[in-house]
Amino acid sequence: MSRFVLRRLVIVPFLLLGIVTISFGISRFISSDPLANIVGERQLNNPEVVNAAKKKWGLDGGLAKQYTTYMGNLFHGDLGTSFRTRQPVTKDLGDRLPATFELALGALIIGGGGGIALGALAASRKDKPTDHIARLFSLLGSSLPVFWIGLVLLFILYARLGWFPGPGRLPPRVAAPPDHTGFYTIDALWAGDVKLFFSCLARLALPCFVLGWAYMGTISRLVRAAMLDELHADYVRTARAKGLRESRVLRSHVLRNAWLPTLTILGYSVGQLLTASVLTETIFQWNGIGSYAVQASNTLDYPAISGVSLFGGAVFLLANLITDVLYAVADPKIRLA
Amino acid sequence: MAKDQGSRRRTSARRIAMAAVVAAALIGAGCSSSKTKTVDTTVAGSDTTAVGDAATTVAGADTTVAAGTTTAADTTAVAAGTTVASGSSGPSGSARELVIARSMDINSLDVSRSYCDTCQIFNTAVYETLITADVTNVNTLLPRLATKWEANADNTQFTFTLNPAAKFADGSAVEAKDVKWSWERLGNIKGSASYLIGGTESIEAPDAATVVVKFKAPNSAFLQIAAASYMGVINSDVATTHEAIAAVGADTADKAEPWFLKNSAGSGPYTLASYTQGDALVMAANTAYWGAKKPTFPKITIKEVKDSASQLQQLQQGDVDVAMQLAIDSLPQLEGDAKVVATPVDSFNYVYVAFSPGAKGAENMADVKVREAMRLAIDFDGAIDTLVAGKGKKQASPIPNGFIGSKALALPAQDLTKAKALMTEAGKADGFSVDATYPKGNVYGVDFDLMMQKVQQDLKAIKVDIKLNPVEIGQWADIVGKQGIPVTAVYFAPDHGDSSQYPQYFGMMEGSSWAARAGGGKAGKPIINPKEAPLLAAALAASGPAKEKAYTDLGQEMINDAIIVPIVNPQVVLAYAADITNMHYSACCNLDLGLLGLKN
Repeated sequence: MSRFVLRRLVIVPFLLLGIVTISFGISRFISSDPLANIVGERQLNNPEVVNAAKKKWGLDGGLAKQYTTYMGNLFHGDLGTSFRTRQPVTKDLGDRLPATFELALGALIIGGGGGIALGALAASRKDKPTDHIARLFSLLGSSLPVFWIGLVLLFILYARLGWFPGPGRLPPRVAAPPDHTGFYTIDALWAGDVKLFFSCLARLALPCFVLGWAYMGTISRLVRAAMLDELHADYVRTARAKGLRESRVLRSHVLRNAWLPTLTILGYSVGQLLTASVLTETIFQWNGIGSYAVQASNTLDYPAISGVSLFGGAVFLLANLITDVLYAVADPKIRLA
Repeated sequence: MAKDQGSRRRTSARRIAMAAVVAAALIGAGCSSSKTKTVDTTVAGSDTTAVGDAATTVAGADTTVAAGTTTAADTTAVAAGTTVASGSSGPSGSARELVIARSMDINSLDVSRSYCDTCQIFNTAVYETLITADVTNVNTLLPRLATKWEANADNTQFTFTLNPAAKFADGSAVEAKDVKWSWERLGNIKGSASYLIGGTESIEAPDAATVVVKFKAPNSAFLQIAAASYMGVINSDVATTHEAIAAVGADTADKAEPWFLKNSAGSGPYTLASYTQGDALVMAANTAYWGAKKPTFPKITIKEVKDSASQLQQLQQGDVDVAMQLAIDSLPQLEGDAKVVATPVDSFNYVYVAFSPGAKGAENMADVKVREAMRLAIDFDGAIDTLVAGKGKKQASPIPNGFIGSKALALPAQDLTKAKALMTEAGKADGFSVDATYPKGNVYGVDFDLMMQKVQQDLKAIKVDIKLNPVEIGQWADIVGKQGIPVTAVYFAPDHGDSSQYPQYFGMMEGSSWAARAGGGKAGKPIINPKEAPLLAAALAASGPAKEKAYTDLGQEMINDAIIVPIVNPQVVLAYAADITNMHYSACCNLDLGLLGLKN
C-alpha cells in the first residue's frame, strides 16, 4: 500500500500544475477587464492610473511573461497578492480555511452520520412507515435548493421566532476569541470561555444542518440501497441461521459491506464541502473559501482564482487518495497496487 | 425470533434516542445562545448635538471668515476656530458599541490608495481633512484640521491655516508637513483618487501651521476637493517608518499598503482596530481625540452583510444598529417598529443611460435628433415609480440635484409626439435595433435589469428596439473600452462636493471618460463638444453667480449632447436604532461616524 500511496503522491504536483495552468488560461482568455475592479470604472480612461495599476499587479507583460512569473513565484510558495483584498492569497486562504473547515466538519457529521444512520434505519424497516418518512426526509434534503432552505430557515427560526442565532460566526458585539487555531469553537474553549463556545456552536447549527441535509439525502439513499442489496446475500442468511442478533447482522455484516459505495460518496462530499459551500457561506455570512472563490471570480481576481483552484485541486486529490486507502482498510479483499 | 425483534427495537430506540439527544443539543445550543444574545441597549449620556446644531455651534465659535481675498468656489466658506476640549480623554461616556450592517466594497484602507463608498466612511472617521462639507448643505464648508482658508483672486493658490491643537492619535501634532506629505503621496501613488490633487504646481509648508497649494490653472473646485475623504491627513512620521513614500515614484516604491490594513495613522475620532476582509471592519475610539465632539462609541463595527433582506432582519432583531443599504421596499416592514427609525433622504447618487453614437453598431444613433428622440421617449416618472417606488427624483443633466449648476435646468419629461417627429426628421421613422450591454446588479437600490427593461419598453414607442445584454462589470469595461456600447447603463456617486467632477467625467471634451466611450472607445475617436471645455475652464476660474452660470451652461450643453441621460436620483434609506442621533447622508463622506451620538 505504501508504494501505492507514494506513487499517487508523486503525480499530485503534476496534476496541480495542470489545474493551475488551466485556471490561469481560462481566467486570462475571458473577454473581461480586471482593471474595472482594481481602479474602478471611473478611472479606466485615466492612462496614468491604469498604467500604474498594470505595473503594480503584473498585468503589463504578455501572457507568457505573466505565466512564467506566476509559476516562478508558485515554486517559492508565493500564490501572489489578491487584487481585491490586497493581501497574499496564502494568507487569505489560511484566514478562511478554519471557517470552512468548521462548517464542513459539522455538515459532514450531520450529513454523513445522519445519512448513514437514516439509510440503515430505512433499510432495516423497508417499506414500513419509518422507511417512508426517512426516504421523504432524504428526498427533501437532496432536492430542495440549499439557498432556499437556508433563507427559509433563517426567516422562520431567526427573524420571526428568534429561536436560533442569526448569520455569522460570532454573536453581535462579541469579539473573536484569541486566535490559536482559527476555529472559533476550539479557540473559545482554549480561552476558557464556555459561553462563547456554545454561542459559536449554536451559530454552526443552522448552516451545518442546511449543508449537511443536502448530503444526508444522497448518503442515506445510497446506504439504504447498498444495505438492501446485502440483506439478500447468502452470508446474511447464514448469519441469521447461526442465531446472530439482527442488530449484529446489520452492524457487523450488512453495513460493513455496504460501506464501500458510501466511502466513495463521503470522499467526494469532503471535497465538495471544503470548496463549494458557496451558497451556504453566502447566506449565513460565513467568511470561508467558498465565498472567497465567488468574489474572486466575480472580480476577476487572477491570483485568488488560481489560488482557490490550486486549493480545490489539492483537496480533491487528497480526499480521493484517502478514500482509496480507506477502501483497502474497509475491505481486505482490495489490494492497492 | 421474538427476542431478536425485541432487541432490534431496543437498538433502534437507542439510536433514535441518541440522534434526538444530538439534535436537541444543537437546537438547545441554538436556543440558549439566542436567549443569551447580547443586545446592549443601554443608553448612556453622550453628546447629542443635532447635525445642524453641531454645524451652527462650530461655526459660531470663534468665527473667522477668510477675508481680504476672493474665496474660491461657491461654498459658504465659514472658517472657524474649532473649540478644543482640554484634558479630555476617551469616548463621551457610552459603553454601547455601534454595529453597522453594510455590503463593503473596500479596495484599500490606505487613505491614498482607497477609492470606494465604504472607504469614504472609514477615511472620514479615522483621517481628518482640513475642511469638511456640512452634511446638511453640500455647498457649505466647515473647519476640521484647518481654522481658516483662503484663495487668491484667480483661484490658483489656496492657503490653509492649521489648528494648533490638532493632534494625531499618537499625541503628536498635526503639522503642515504632514499635509504636504499626505497630498503629495496621494498624487504620486497614482491611485484612483490621485486625480483629486492633479494640476498642482506645488504644495508648500512655509511653517508648521500653514499649507499653500498652487495650481497651474484656476481650480475653484479645490476647497470642495480638500473636503473629500481621500484628502485625509496621515501622520507622516509614523507612515514613513512603515515604508510609506510620498515622493515621485511612490507608485512602485511605496510598500505601506499591507501596514495600513492593520494600522492607522490619522487624527480622527476613531482608529483602525482590525479588519477582516469579507467579515468586519472594526474601529476603536481615539481616546486622545483632540476635537470638541468626542467619539460617542468605544467601538464601531462595520459588519459585512451583503443583501438588503439580511440587513433588515438583523436590524429588526437588534443584532445591528444601522442598516446602510436597505431597499426602498423594506420601508413598510419597518413601519410601527418603535425600536427602529427608517427614513428615506435625498442623495446625490444617480443611475443613467448612455447613448454612444460612435460605438460599434450605433450608426443609427449618429444624428443627435435620434438620441434626443430616445430621451424624449423615456417615461421618467414611470421609471421612478417602477424602480424605487417613487422614492427618487428626476435629474436634468449629469450635474445632480443640489450641486451648483443644477437648479435652473428643466427636468426631463416624456414627449412621444415630439420624439416621433424627431425620428421622422432624422429619417428613422421606421426605427432600428441596437445593442444594450450593461453591467448587471443592483446599485443604489435600482435593479439594472428592471431599469433597462423599462427603457426597452419605452423606446418601443418610437420603434427603437434595444437588445438587452447584462454582463459582469469587468466584461462591460472590456467592451466599452475597446469599442464603446451603443446603449448602456451605469451609476455615479460624487467624490466631493464640487460640480467640476461631472463635466470632467461626462462632458464631451478631451480627457473625459465618456467623450472617449461615446466615440467608440479605443477603436473610435472622442466626441468633442467645443463649447464645453471653455465653459469648464471658466467655471474653475470663477466664483459666485458667474460660476453658477458656467456650470448651468455646461449642464445644458451636456443635455444637448443627448449622450448621458440620468434616469433617477434615488433616495437612500437611513435605517437605524431609535436611540441613535445625528444619522445623515453626506456628499463628501457618505456617513461621518464622528457625528453620530446616542439619546440620553
